[in-house]
Amino acid sequence: MSELSIITMLYVIYRTNFIQGMDYRIQLAKRMLSNKKGSLIGAVLAVSIGILVIHVNFVIFQGLYDAIVRDLSSYRFGDVRVTDEESFITKSDIFLVNWFERIPYVEAAAPRVQSSASINVTKGGKLIEEFSVQIVGVDPFRDPRVSTVYQTVTDGQYVLSRNSIVVGSSVAEDLGGVRVGDNLKLKVTDRRGEDQIRRFLVSGIVQSPGGQGLDRSVVIHIDALRDMLDRDGETGEILVKLSDPKKADQIKEYFLRTFPNDDFKAETIEESAEEALSGFRSGIAMINMIGYFGMMSSAFAVVTIQMMLVSSKTREVGVMRAIGAKRKDVLIIFIVQGMIIGALGAGLGTAMGLGYTIYAKETKMTFAGSIPLEVSYDWVKIIQTAVMAFGLAVIASIYPSYKATRLQPVEAMRYV
Amino acid sequence: MSDTVLEVRNLNKTFGQGDTMVHALVDVSFSVKRGEFLLIVGSSGSGKSTLLNMIGLLDKPTNGEVYIDGTNTTKLSDNQVSAFRNSKLGFIFQFSNLLADLTVLENVLLPRSIQHTDQNAMKEAVTLLKGVGLESQMNKRANKISGGQAQRAAIARGLINKPTIVLADEPTGNLDSITAETTVQLMKSMARKLNQTFIIVTHDRHQFSEVDRVITIKDGRAFEGEDMPHKMEVTV
Repeated sequence: MSELSIITMLYVIYRTNFIQGMDYRIQLAKRMLSNKKGSLIGAVLAVSIGILVIHVNFVIFQGLYDAIVRDLSSYRFGDVRVTDEESFITKSDIFLVNWFERIPYVEAAAPRVQSSASINVTKGGKLIEEFSVQIVGVDPFRDPRVSTVYQTVTDGQYVLSRNSIVVGSSVAEDLGGVRVGDNLKLKVTDRRGEDQIRRFLVSGIVQSPGGQGLDRSVVIHIDALRDMLDRDGETGEILVKLSDPKKADQIKEYFLRTFPNDDFKAETIEESAEEALSGFRSGIAMINMIGYFGMMSSAFAVVTIQMMLVSSKTREVGVMRAIGAKRKDVLIIFIVQGMIIGALGAGLGTAMGLGYTIYAKETKMTFAGSIPLEVSYDWVKIIQTAVMAFGLAVIASIYPSYKATRLQPVEAMRYV
Repeated sequence: MSDTVLEVRNLNKTFGQGDTMVHALVDVSFSVKRGEFLLIVGSSGSGKSTLLNMIGLLDKPTNGEVYIDGTNTTKLSDNQVSAFRNSKLGFIFQFSNLLADLTVLENVLLPRSIQHTDQNAMKEAVTLLKGVGLESQMNKRANKISGGQAQRAAIARGLINKPTIVLADEPTGNLDSITAETTVQLMKSMARKLNQTFIIVTHDRHQFSEVDRVITIKDGRAFEGEDMPHKMEVTV
């Protein structure tokens, strides 16, 4: 059946059986509203804009939060991150990676070592001032399976060999514009406290959207860093990427149960990035509160418009009361109007909000070249917002409805 | 079934207090029999509309009682008054007061819809609309018909619940003389056909030539008949 015939059929049902059989109060509420289109549109827009604001807030701020989580997960922490409580992991990284990769929800695992180093470069015979950077040692074959850092290489290639280095764009800039092919020196302090200096060839430059990647770090081969730190066979952390990130807690618990005596520390992304995310979460909570205050303002707009509607229908209320309508009948008429406004406003607001969400998701919305928002459809929140807006519109109509019931027929009918 | 459908006993209504107190009705008492076509006349401000509001349970008397079909209506609760108005009284107002949001037919059906008793309602409403000559207008919105047609629709609305009494407040006050005459004749014919009690308030006695009975209100007091100098105050 075509869409047109379905619409036609619904219209015929609407115009005949449904209307005929509808309670007169509902019918009257609907007619009164549809004959006051300006007020109806105003009230519906007030409700729908309240919802839209909440959707836009959610898309932007929750999207930004999720994008940060996404980037921290894919660049730095994985979905689960295993470290040693005290120092470095001494168990074989191959053993641990294989152990993880046997679990169905685990997509891949890879070892990393992190430290800090002094870096300098000589360009055109001039030494660029030495400064400290974070240094990340990666397994060039395993790391791309758990991290997307390799995708942020804007020039050259990812770590190729033990003497190649990938430089973050900010570091490259601080070093006076290091390019692929340049040589630079790293100085680290090994486990015995002795300085180890090694020369590297720049194989690539990394730059991530919003600077969430390793833009302020340098990346070298994990074995090269182990050599420099004198930590042969040791690992700083194991990053685990899951096919279903929601299983992170389960995997973490399973791992800790399996290795109870190894002083391992396992964290989900939320736990690893807690410091970075906690402030942001408070910000989101405040922004959401502002959104809900916006919705409350919409409710006040509904009160005002409903008061105007009641005022414009004073005579009609008087007539209805005169011919036998009870106070509760009048109350129902105006409450039903609130319900109609709420339903239309919630429907329109949700549609507009979803439209914006789809647009943001499809266009991978960013602001001023920052990180692309991680837009998701939180159906529970979407339905919750719509139901809340509907409820507020109904609550907002209670006072005007009550005022309508207090009208005395004789007084009301004098109102022309 | 008693022949008396309305009994007004010692009805008083005052507005305001102290120096500004106005006695709108003073010890008004009279009764009306079933099928009577009663006219309440009086000059503007005499208290006739106030009296009609008391009979129509639209306003409460300061003291005194109104019995309709043997029920003392002054003892009824707000909800009971509403139900009583709906089932026992029909109203015709000066400005017809049809609801503009509804069609003519829906307006006529409204008192029945309030009762939630829809059996035969549509059929009876159409019959009534045929009776008042509005069959062809019944699906029009109430604000799309003329004043005379609206008043005829109001008569049909007043009769749909087969009320004990139809109360009309200046039903011709807003109509031209020809339309007013037609409306008066329509009310009279309906009264005869349905043995329906009509109480009509008007300041224009001449529009209603032959009626069963006339009560004159002057300064809040009720007098039987219309020729004031020869009249006595009405008592039960």
